This record gives sequence, C-alpha cells and structure tokens, in this order.
Amino acid sequence: MVFSSITFLFLFLPVVLAVYYIAPEKYKNIILLISSIIFYAWGEPVYVVLMILSILLNYFCGLDIGSKAEDPVRAKRSVIFAVVVNILILGFFKYYGFLLDMLNSILPGEIPYRELSLPIGISFYTFQSLSYIIDVYRKKVKPQNSLLLYAVYISMFPQLIAGPIVRYIDIEEQLTNRKTSAVRLGQGAALFIRGLAKKAVIANMTGEIFQQISDMQASQMTVLMAWLGCISYAFQIYFDFSGYSDMALGLGRMFGFEFRKNFDYPYISRSITEFWRRWHISLSTWFREYVYIPLGGNRCSAARNMVNLMIVWTLTGMWHGAAWNFIVWGVYYGVLLVMEKYVWGASVDQLPSPVRRIYSLVLILIGWVFFFSPSIGYALRYLAAMFGGGAGIADKGAWFILFSHWLLYLLAVLGSTTLGYRLIRGLTEVWNGSRARTAAVLILYFGMFFVAVAFLVTGDYNPFLYFRF
Amino acid sequence: MTEEIRKNRPGISEIAKYIVSVLIIIYVVLLLLFASGSSKPFEDVAAAVSGSLDTETLTRMDDRMLKRNFGLNSADYDGVMYYASTSSMSVEEVLLIRVDSRDQIQQISDAIDERIDARMDAFEGYAPDQVRLLEDAQQSVRGRYVFFAVSSRATEYRNAFDTSL
Repeated sequence: MVFSSITFLFLFLPVVLAVYYIAPEKYKNIILLISSIIFYAWGEPVYVVLMILSILLNYFCGLDIGSKAEDPVRAKRSVIFAVVVNILILGFFKYYGFLLDMLNSILPGEIPYRELSLPIGISFYTFQSLSYIIDVYRKKVKPQNSLLLYAVYISMFPQLIAGPIVRYIDIEEQLTNRKTSAVRLGQGAALFIRGLAKKAVIANMTGEIFQQISDMQASQMTVLMAWLGCISYAFQIYFDFSGYSDMALGLGRMFGFEFRKNFDYPYISRSITEFWRRWHISLSTWFREYVYIPLGGNRCSAARNMVNLMIVWTLTGMWHGAAWNFIVWGVYYGVLLVMEKYVWGASVDQLPSPVRRIYSLVLILIGWVFFFSPSIGYALRYLAAMFGGGAGIADKGAWFILFSHWLLYLLAVLGSTTLGYRLIRGLTEVWNGSRARTAAVLILYFGMFFVAVAFLVTGDYNPFLYFRF
Repeated sequence: MTEEIRKNRPGISEIAKYIVSVLIIIYVVLLLLFASGSSKPFEDVAAAVSGSLDTETLTRMDDRMLKRNFGLNSADYDGVMYYASTSSMSVEEVLLIRVDSRDQIQQISDAIDERIDARMDAFEGYAPDQVRLLEDAQQSVRGRYVFFAVSSRATEYRNAFDTSL
C-alpha cells in the first residue's frame, strides 16, 4: 500500500488511527504491529514472510549478542554472523540477478536463472536491523527483550517501505514511552498533507515532464531541453522522496513517535559536502556511523581517508540499486567529496554564496543524469546534449514546456528552497495570534489536501521513486 | 571445567537464530521454486503462452484495447500480450505483462480486480456461465511477470505460463 493511494487515505489510515486512539495504552503497540503487517502484506503478500523472518532473526541475534556481552570473542563472532546473514539476504534479493546478468554478458554461453523481484523496503529494514545489532554489540543499547517492541521498531508502517532509516538508538525510549495528543495529531497531519501535496502535485507533474523529455533520443535534444529534463527530474526526485519522508514523519508524530528529519533543503547547499548533510540524512548518518567511522573515518592519513570516502560512496551507490549507473553515481560523489576535502574545497569556500550555490547545483544535476539513466552510454549521450553535443541550443518544444509550466517550476523552486516556507510564514503571520491566522492556516492545509487528492484521483498510478531501492 | 562447558553451551536465542536462518533458506528455496519469474526474454514466454491459446475464441488485442479494458499503458511495461474474445457475450481474455519495476505489480493487480468486478456487474443476472468463468479466473505473479486468464481453459493457460518460465 502506498501513502498516496485513496485506499490508504480514506480507509486504512482513518480506521487505524481511530482504533489506535481509542485503544488502551497497553494495546497500542499490538495495533501498530498488526496494522503494519497488513499495510506491508497489501502490496507484498509473499514477501511479508521474509520481513517476519528477518525480524525474528535479528531479535534472536540481538539477544544472543547481549547474552555474550561479557565474552568479547563470542560476542564478536555472534555480531559477525548477524551482519553476514543480513547482508547475504539483502545481497541475494538485490544483486543476484545483476551479478548473473554481468556474468552472462562476459561468458560465451548464457546461464538461465530464476528471477526474483526485490522485496519492497528490504534495503531500509535491513539497515535498521543492522543498526540495532551493531549498537547492541557496541553496548550503546540493551538488547530488546520484547519481540513485540522489536517487531514494531522494524515494521511500523510510517517508515517501513522507504525510510527514513530510523536507528534503534533514536527510538528505543519511544517504543514504550510516547505521547499522543490532539496537538501532535494536528502537527502530524499538517506534515503529512505537506508531503502528500509535494508528491501528488509537484513530483508527479515534474515527473511527467521528465518522462516526456527522456523518451526523446539524447542526440536529438537541444541544450535547453536536456537541462529542462534534468531539472525536472531533480525536482521530481526531491519532492517525491522528501514528500514521502514528510508523510512518514507526520504519520510517526500522529502515532506519538518523533523521527529525525531526512531532508533539509538540499538544493540550497553551497558545497557537495553540505548537500550530503541535507539530502537523505538518515542514509548518510547510517553510513557514517556504521561504515565510515569503523573504517577509520578522518582520523587517519589523507590517503586512507580518501580510500574510506571512496568505499563509503561506492557502497552508497550500490545501496540504491544493482546497476552500473548507481555505482558510477556513488563513485562520482566519492570523487567530488575527496576533491572538496583535499583539492578545491578551501577555494570554493572563498567564493560568494550565490556562486557556490550554482557550483553545487550544476554538480548535483550532473549527478542526477547518472542516477536516472538506464545505462552509462545513455548518461554520457545525455550529458553531451546538456553541454551542446545534441541538436543545438534551444527548440520550440523546450520553450513551450518552460512557458506552459512556469507556475509549476516556480512552485518547485519555492518549495525546494526556504523561500516558500518564509513566504507562507510571512503571509500567515500578518494575523499573528488571531483566529484569522488559524483560519488561514486551516484553509491552506485543507486546500492542499483537496488539490492533492484531486491530482491523485485524476492522475495515473505513480508510486514513489524510492520504493525500488 | 564444568563452568566453562556451561558458559560455552548455546543459549535459547543462539539456537533460535540458527533455526530462523534455516527457515530463511527454506523460504528462499520455496520462492525460487514457486514464486520466481525467469530471466527468459518476454517474447519467449509470450510465445509459449500464446501457443497454448484457443485462437478461434481469442484474438490478439492492441494497446488501445488494453488501455480501454484495463486502463493500463503498454508503453509503461517491458512487454505486454493481451488476447480477448471479440464476442460481446464472452468474458474470455488472457493478459500477460512483464513489468519494468516491481512497484508496477500492485497497479496491474488493482486493474485486474477492477476489470473482474466490472465484468461481473455487467454479466450478473443474465449470463451465469460467464460469471462462473470470472469467479474461476486465474491470476499469478511470478517475479516480474503478471498473468491473468478468464476462460474455460484458464487452468491450462496458467500451466502453460508456469512451465514457460
């Protein structure tokens, strides 16, 4: 089930919320677990078994590591077992087809294989499980004795399918001690509506433009058309994923949880380093905590630090999918971060702020070309078109797209920078403290909700981009 | 010595984690046997399925009919094969789709459910034999393949699909 479906909005969520709020405190986690399993099984009736087995495995692994805490050798053996099994499961479902395709492309004959689809959300819940297992081993958290609470942590539907990757350490307390109230319900609903509008209106519309442009041959594109396509994709992926994250955070708050934010206006960054502090924050945090720092982080020689950065960013690329374009995308960011740290970072810092923003944006947009391309060859042809190697500078089609969608692009710019937030705040603060302000905010959010629903009802089915990771 | 043996004896959680690991292996084997798709090209699977069809009652339909009957755009998928009866009094049809990405499966399943409901509403009351065919419709998702058949020979078509993978 997806958050932006009519079934979820008008059936699943109202029913679950009503039952959750009516139920006594001691039953709330059970309700959350049952509803989360239904939510997942709705779209993945076969793979729900895998998720349950993964929960059981990591629950017992956590207890096992905890029971060996006094014996470092056995505890280490146990954590290695848990990490290896989790990575094997993720690797099997995510990369086995990719590896066999790769083998088939270099071998003279073809190895036929049984194709398995990727279980939705496996990358997210496996990373959550690993954070728990490793933190138990590091004695940062105690092993969770209650299977119910552990199962709620992994499976809770607000963050199950596409994150944010919630670390156990951040949520341990909230599993048993969280507060629901009318105010938090309202705040959560507002956040959810914001995310829904981002997804249903801006992401889906910019996605349609991108689809239209990417259907063209890259060699037939003018510079303007290629940049428009790339910018449209940049808006689509930002509003799609940050919209989903807003909905997840909003739903979490409705159920009494507080998750850390996953996005912080990444397109206003003044360097690539800053971009990765603002984009998919939960994933960058995970890699920093569980890969980069254990590898030695930056407390080592410059050469070793460069290697560490490249390892982390290659893995980040691979996490996104079993395809060469994602690996190249990860390596691209690894190289940029190394360069910023050791070559041109200090010089970039001296530049005026607007120039630094343009520098970051251009590099981010080039990165998205690798991300959305079906092959490296296509990415290179697309990049060539962006820099004049296509069919000229501008064409009527590109101007038509730009002028007929100027309002959409304006909304996208406002929404992806702090301008939009400041504008809404400025407008509503005219009536600060008065009932008129409350009424204005209510009208704004109800308006956003109805517009988003209208777009969902009339538009094509359009799931979230990050479901495939 | 006894204390050492006791300390090294596996606890319940250790035994349980090995049992769950074995269960995961069994589950993956079952998935590969009964729920997996195939790396075979769409054309091979489609040829095997279409070869089993009764082409006297079923005719290959174009993308426009897929859009009209299911609301699906064939360009969104890796491959589409759609056969249906040209008679307005028959509900027989066979649909085979290879999705581009897993998240499209839900959309197709929903479209199939809606199609069945709409056809049931249309035929209920005056064509009970056709309603029975709809009730016995065969649906299967194997890897990236989605198969749907409404026919008196639906099980046979389904078997042809399963063996083609």
